[in-house]
Amino acid sequence: MTKQTFNLAWRLFKHEAKRGELTIILLAIILSVASVLSLSLFSERLQSALTDKSAEFIAADRVLNSRKPVDEAWIEKAKEFGLNTANQVYTRSMAFSGDNMMLVDLRAAAQGYPLKGTVKIAEQPFAPGQATDTLPQSGNAWIESRLFQNLGLSLGQVIEVGDKTFTVSKVLSEVPDAGFSVFGGDPKVLINEQDLAATNIIGPGSRASFSYFFTGSDANLDDYYDWLMPQLDKELQSWVSVSDDDSAIGRSIAKAEQYFLLASLLAIVLAAVSIAVAAQRYSQRHYDPVAIMKTLGASKKMVQQVYLLQITFITVLGIAIGTVLGFLIQQIVVWALAGSVDVSLDVWFWRPLIIAVFTGAICAVLFSLYPLLKLFSVSPLRVLRRDLGASLSSRFIQFLASGGAIFSLMWAYSGNLGLSAILFGSGILLVMSLLLVTFGLIWLGRRLGSGKMGAWQLAWARIRRRAMDNAIQLISFAVTIMLLLIVLVMRNDMIAQWQNQLPQGTPNYFLVNITQQQLPDLQAHFAQENVDIEHFYPVVRGRFVAINDEKVSTAVSKEDEEPVERQGREGLGREANLTWSDELQHENVITAGKWFDSNEPLESGLYGVSVEARIADRLDIQLGDKLTFNVGSEIINTQVSSLREVNWQTMQPNFFFVIQPQAMQGYLPTYLSSFYLDKSRKSDITDLMKPFASVTLFDVDARIEQLRGIVQQVSLAVEFILVLVLAAGALVLIAQVQASMDERQQELAILRTLGAKGRLIRASVLFEFIIIGLVAGLMAAFANEVSLFFLQSQVFEMEAMLHWEYWFIAPVVGAIVVGALGMVGCWRLLRLNTSHLLRQMV
Amino acid sequence: MIKTSAITKTVTTSQGELSILQPISFEVKAGESIAIVGASGSGKSTLLSLLAGLDEVSSGSIYLDGQGLHDMNEEQRAQLRGEKVGFIFQSFMLVQSLTALENIMLPAEIAGLDNASQLGQEILEKVGLGHRGDHYPNQLSGGEQQRVAIARAFITKPKILFADEPTGNLDAANSGKIEQLLFDLNRDSHTTLVLVTHDNELAKHCQRQLLMNAGELSEVTASDKKTDPIDVLAPTESQAG
Repeated sequence: MTKQTFNLAWRLFKHEAKRGELTIILLAIILSVASVLSLSLFSERLQSALTDKSAEFIAADRVLNSRKPVDEAWIEKAKEFGLNTANQVYTRSMAFSGDNMMLVDLRAAAQGYPLKGTVKIAEQPFAPGQATDTLPQSGNAWIESRLFQNLGLSLGQVIEVGDKTFTVSKVLSEVPDAGFSVFGGDPKVLINEQDLAATNIIGPGSRASFSYFFTGSDANLDDYYDWLMPQLDKELQSWVSVSDDDSAIGRSIAKAEQYFLLASLLAIVLAAVSIAVAAQRYSQRHYDPVAIMKTLGASKKMVQQVYLLQITFITVLGIAIGTVLGFLIQQIVVWALAGSVDVSLDVWFWRPLIIAVFTGAICAVLFSLYPLLKLFSVSPLRVLRRDLGASLSSRFIQFLASGGAIFSLMWAYSGNLGLSAILFGSGILLVMSLLLVTFGLIWLGRRLGSGKMGAWQLAWARIRRRAMDNAIQLISFAVTIMLLLIVLVMRNDMIAQWQNQLPQGTPNYFLVNITQQQLPDLQAHFAQENVDIEHFYPVVRGRFVAINDEKVSTAVSKEDEEPVERQGREGLGREANLTWSDELQHENVITAGKWFDSNEPLESGLYGVSVEARIADRLDIQLGDKLTFNVGSEIINTQVSSLREVNWQTMQPNFFFVIQPQAMQGYLPTYLSSFYLDKSRKSDITDLMKPFASVTLFDVDARIEQLRGIVQQVSLAVEFILVLVLAAGALVLIAQVQASMDERQQELAILRTLGAKGRLIRASVLFEFIIIGLVAGLMAAFANEVSLFFLQSQVFEMEAMLHWEYWFIAPVVGAIVVGALGMVGCWRLLRLNTSHLLRQMV
Repeated sequence: MIKTSAITKTVTTSQGELSILQPISFEVKAGESIAIVGASGSGKSTLLSLLAGLDEVSSGSIYLDGQGLHDMNEEQRAQLRGEKVGFIFQSFMLVQSLTALENIMLPAEIAGLDNASQLGQEILEKVGLGHRGDHYPNQLSGGEQQRVAIARAFITKPKILFADEPTGNLDAANSGKIEQLLFDLNRDSHTTLVLVTHDNELAKHCQRQLLMNAGELSEVTASDKKTDPIDVLAPTESQAG
């Protein structure tokens, strides 16, 4: 490249930038970089903060669970990788206090535990806990409130576990890695790891689980795992990270992350659309200079170099400004959120910056490629024949190039082929439908727009005349509106779902082990104390022993543990709570078969059982299978009459197996129930439960509060993301209207010259944009439904539904917004006088 | 300097092949000035585009300073234009985003000359716009813009200058000044001038006049010059009709 070529490119760039000629394309690049950077930096920071928060639920960033102690060298190696470590042994054992005994969840923690989250202790059973960073001293045990209740203990008394006696020194209110199982947990006892050996409960064959906790940077953790993985024994050991967390919080965060990803993807598409529009316009504006340069002897190579350099200058400038702007935007959001989100958002990430710069560059290069190729093909003959455009003209190549670019960007960025394919597919569908509609409109316009030339007729005439241009404009409007709709509706549906999951009044206490005799007294007592308690579920503990008379593995492992060996058909691995009911529980949906509709046995003579769908899937249970349960010494045979989908996120009692009531007559159940007690009445709980000492009380208030807190913060973050995307979308719409105004300039000049009144011109432009906005909105509503159906059912695992209101809102808002933007653009042009307009055309 | 032999131009339309130029042969000597006159649509701009190498002939041959244009591809023609040809257009064809001086420098820069700025400034003074060098085209009047275009055409000292209706967009007063400037510069630099116009006054300044009529070219003789070429055209057109 010669010095002269560089100088020429630089000079063109400098002047055009100064004269505002590059504003639109520069703005598009700035917008793409700024929106991608702000969105992805913010979401990365938020994700990291939320992951950090949710890491508290496993008490670390990663946990290695093992059935036997691991080689000390593994832990040393972790330290070499720069990781913090701690460990804890879990087991179940009997705790004795005088004549009372109870199976407890014994946890022996070593110094450093928990690496994430806090242990909370109290001085009174059921009193609110205070965070502590210490562990029980040797010889002491911290025990959960209900163990005080069950063993009739008070602080300072002793319990025996194995061969060791412990003084109960504190009430254990909360441990971070408690898990979310409401019924599974035996009361927890936390002791110091130093005392574990003295209990003599850990020996060959004992069912202990050894957990090793790790925290550190993601990179170090990954490196360590890469080193560790080949040495792990899959049967005995498992590696757990927060993303494996299948709890309600884990899933909410996973969904929020998907939403952020979706929003960022859509931001990229919005940016791409605006760059495509701007690049097209940029190219058209340079037909003359290219023809002049070629006429004056510039070689094709020189022209290419001049314009590629120009695009490079524009891209570099756009990326630089976009980066600063994007950082500022997300910083403003972070500041605005500082008071509401209980997480630190000041960690810097390079990935979003790289993505943003990459996006800006790729968008600028790929989307300007076709317009530039067109530009290079402009013939020098244009200097004599002004009507000559570019000789290269293939919309197909353009669509293929832009479509391919958008799809590869989406795929590369998300790493999620499904999500990218769904969005891209609906985009293509939209484009195809829009092409059909546009040509339909042209046909319609011929009928509607005939007659005396007024504003209405002028509007239709314009739409008709520029059929292809209008189709493209319509498509870009509709795509923009559709993307905004997706982000908006997804946010509404997701937040509604989260809130439904934990409405105010969600039960925060669970009662288990209510005997038949206690039931009427308990109901009366609660009524007297003004506590609503509605449903009592009868429960018997039973062992699931056979499917179709084929024995299943009945090795009973403890709750939350995997069976060590599996022989033959897989069983549940533990005792199940069997309940019976005529009524289908709230938030349960029958997915196969039907709910019990009579008191009679099924055709086979067996009574029916309804099985939770996921467990049925795991144990390969089919509709019509014969299931055998063992309750005490009795055998109960049932036949699967339905499969149910259960929303486990509701914090309501739910059951794997619900048996037809007639089959269970004669079994003496205990009952379980749940109730809501306002925080202000927390101190009443001891009095409330005093008469029923044998009933076990679970306090899940703290868990619910935690869950609700996180949901609120994630919702708030989602709202901000929505605002960011809406702002980006609005800017894209403005850019599009501006670009199309340019094309209208010539026509406006001619109309003005011929003496058309400003009112006529304004009205015709307004009509034109209203028609375009209306159609774009309608098409966007349609495409939105299609995309949402696939997104919600395939990616977000939500129930897909129709959103009728947007079939009305989208066209109306589309017409208003696009119409208004058109008016503003038109007003700008009409302010210029006619001779100025005409001169600009030359 | 220019030699054409039986050049034709046909284009394909939806109604079939359309012949724009009938076989045309003529010669222009170095330093000579010729005017191609004719009514709108007669094919004179097409002829200009072929002579200047902006378009390709359908058949026949064109030699520009001894080089066969008809054998060249677009790149080679561009190189030849850059080395030997200057242009002036009716609509000035200035790059709107470059200043007057930068527009003038453009051919020199394309040709890779190092002193483009100095040359540009000198010729800008010559056309009387020394003080307007940093003005953009839309800040100049039509006459001034055409003076910039003339300066641009002469900066590389081309051997041949093609001018397409150079005064077509100007009022009478400005037209006179532009004519004067064009012919003065042409004389000083011994450039061969090919001028397309339907302005008889302008055409008369040229040593030879060629009449384009329905794709055919004929030399306007001394007797024809007594009357307007347009008048000469009239009977031919009515005969054709």
